[in-house]
Amino acid sequence: MSEPPADDVFADLFTLVTPQRLLHHPRATGEGVSVCILDSGVERALLEEKFRQRGQILHPIEGGIFTAAQPEPLPYDGHQSTPHGTTVADILLTLAPRIRLYSADVFGPQGTCEVEVVIRALRWAMDVWHCKIINLSLGVPEQRLQQVQRRQQLLRTIEEAYYKDVLVVAAAHNEHPLMRSYPAAFAPPLLSVDKGTFTDPLDFAYHLSAPIEFQAHGRGYLGPFAAEPATSWAAPHLAAIAARILSLRPSLKPFEIKTLLYWMFQTRDKEGCLFPSSGCV
Amino acid sequence: MPTGSELAETILIVEDEEPVRRTFREWLESARLDCQILTASDAESALVQANQHTIDLAILDWNLGAGNDGLRLLEDLTLFHPDVTAIMITGFAHQATPLQAMRMGVRDYLDKNQDLNRTTFLTAVRRQLDRIRPARRVRQLHQELITFRSTVEKVLPLVQAAAALHDPVPLPAAISNLFRFLLRTTGARDGVLLIRSYDAERQPAEIYRAYDTNGQPLNEPLVPFARSLAGSVVSMQKPERMEHLEEATDVGNLELQPFERGRRSLLAAPLNIAPGWQAVLELFDKQASEGSHASGERGFTESDRQLAAAAADFGTEMLRQALAERQMHRVLFDAIEAALGASDSMAQALDGSMPRPEDPPPAAVLQRLRQGLARGGSHVPDESSNAVDGDVTLRLAESIRVLAVRHGSSAVHHCIRLVESLRQLLDEMIGEMRS
Repeated sequence: MSEPPADDVFADLFTLVTPQRLLHHPRATGEGVSVCILDSGVERALLEEKFRQRGQILHPIEGGIFTAAQPEPLPYDGHQSTPHGTTVADILLTLAPRIRLYSADVFGPQGTCEVEVVIRALRWAMDVWHCKIINLSLGVPEQRLQQVQRRQQLLRTIEEAYYKDVLVVAAAHNEHPLMRSYPAAFAPPLLSVDKGTFTDPLDFAYHLSAPIEFQAHGRGYLGPFAAEPATSWAAPHLAAIAARILSLRPSLKPFEIKTLLYWMFQTRDKEGCLFPSSGCV
Repeated sequence: MPTGSELAETILIVEDEEPVRRTFREWLESARLDCQILTASDAESALVQANQHTIDLAILDWNLGAGNDGLRLLEDLTLFHPDVTAIMITGFAHQATPLQAMRMGVRDYLDKNQDLNRTTFLTAVRRQLDRIRPARRVRQLHQELITFRSTVEKVLPLVQAAAALHDPVPLPAAISNLFRFLLRTTGARDGVLLIRSYDAERQPAEIYRAYDTNGQPLNEPLVPFARSLAGSVVSMQKPERMEHLEEATDVGNLELQPFERGRRSLLAAPLNIAPGWQAVLELFDKQASEGSHASGERGFTESDRQLAAAAADFGTEMLRQALAERQMHRVLFDAIEAALGASDSMAQALDGSMPRPEDPPPAAVLQRLRQGLARGGSHVPDESSNAVDGDVTLRLAESIRVLAVRHGSSAVHHCIRLVESLRQLLDEMIGEMRS
């Protein structure tokens, strides 16, 4: 990174705030931050036991099962519809164990997810659960969202979240950039995330010029396919980073968080590392 | 095969005296009863008519001459048309054998010597037509229902057999070909297709089946979809590769299926068929090729993954088409079930409206019989106070009629034998007492 000009009045201030200080601060645990994962449900007992063995007590995981048939979610029974959601939740809790986690199971026993259900769950997470971060390790491929009206509905909901200070983190399509998927393609009002490989799971990259702005660590820790790089695992890594930042200052707005992330990426050292001690890939 | 009009009732007049026969016919025609009217001069021609037409009402002369009587003819007519109703024309109404006549469908008597004129004749005919018409409509409906059910029951096994080929999930033969192609091109040793359907309205809600590469179902109990490797692959929405499955899945939120255990490598591709329908194509244990030995690769490669992705797209389309066919079958089944249900309801409703064979004869007939019996009774020498009045005789006749309807003529014969034995016993006892 180039040296700041001599008259840069922010330089002194910025040198005090480093990614290392922010993300590794003792209070950067996710405490006080409610995070919703729109996914395939969470196997609650499994995660509680895993973290209990590590000596960490989780906030009770709450949630609901969203269906196209009814406006209100069905009660969350503590089980996953498929293992995917549990792997996503595990990533979030591994990096930010004190978050208050809400599981919006948008797949349910049907095993498929409609845009309308995603919109419904997004609104519920914002208005009922009052979540500050919503993680979407899912997306609707562009060819399945040809209807302008449906796409607009999804965009409006994402914008609504933005104006309510709710940070939406959305995974890009795994075949990105060959395939576009929504809502990740609505880049400005949310954090769109592609998969990357980083030595430190709190490391990430920012590419303003790319349709998908961020890259985060693309490997998980639980489940058979967690080791396989996927955008599904990258999104909760960035969501956990945002949760850590928000636990330091809960009032931050999405654009402030995005600016902070952008700025943190700019501060990486000559080797391109976010954290001097971590080493880089 | 009878070819009687389906719309109008058919009345058959059997009368050996031509003027009488002609008169009856003229009365009926002039009354505009909207009936088909047939005539016969003797039993033989009457039976010929009965063979050609559905007879609803027979107007029979008791004495047909040449040794034939109307009751015997009626007995023969009932062989053609068990529901035939008869009006008996007799010069001696009191000679009627009430039990047998009632059993065979005689519902009225007209006495040539007393009250037979156009008015009484047409009144009797109209009274019977009023009874026949609703019963006939009910019978026609019954017949149509029977025909309908018979047709459906013939078609149903064919449809079910066709659907059974796809039961419980549609699996076109082309899937097996696709499997063979994938095994050959990827070098996989084995494979499985898992198909899962979920319908909250159904019991069980989840149907989860595994098929081998030949499309044959595997009869091993499966781990539920929510905890299965396949469920995980469906969520990933892309083909996944994995090595050393046992180690990779030893985490608690997932269990391996019996056929997945002990495998070295896996390539799994999701097929998103339709809402509530998921399939996963799993290939196991890539066999080492010379090239892979040289490159040090053991498991499935990225090109294998791309191939599986393309095959999955192809397979998805095939399964969607098969599912559409199955849903058409389902629609057909539903329609058939609904129709059979409706016919059951209709049959029950009709049964309620049909006069049952055990129902007593109409009051007017009973009254007439009672009068006839009372008149007949007056000819019986009044030896003692043992004389039986018309009501008792009628009750006895009715009991025997019901016995006959319920248990057939053999029961009646048995009853007669018992009565005769009793009479014989009583006669002997009385004889002994008198002596």
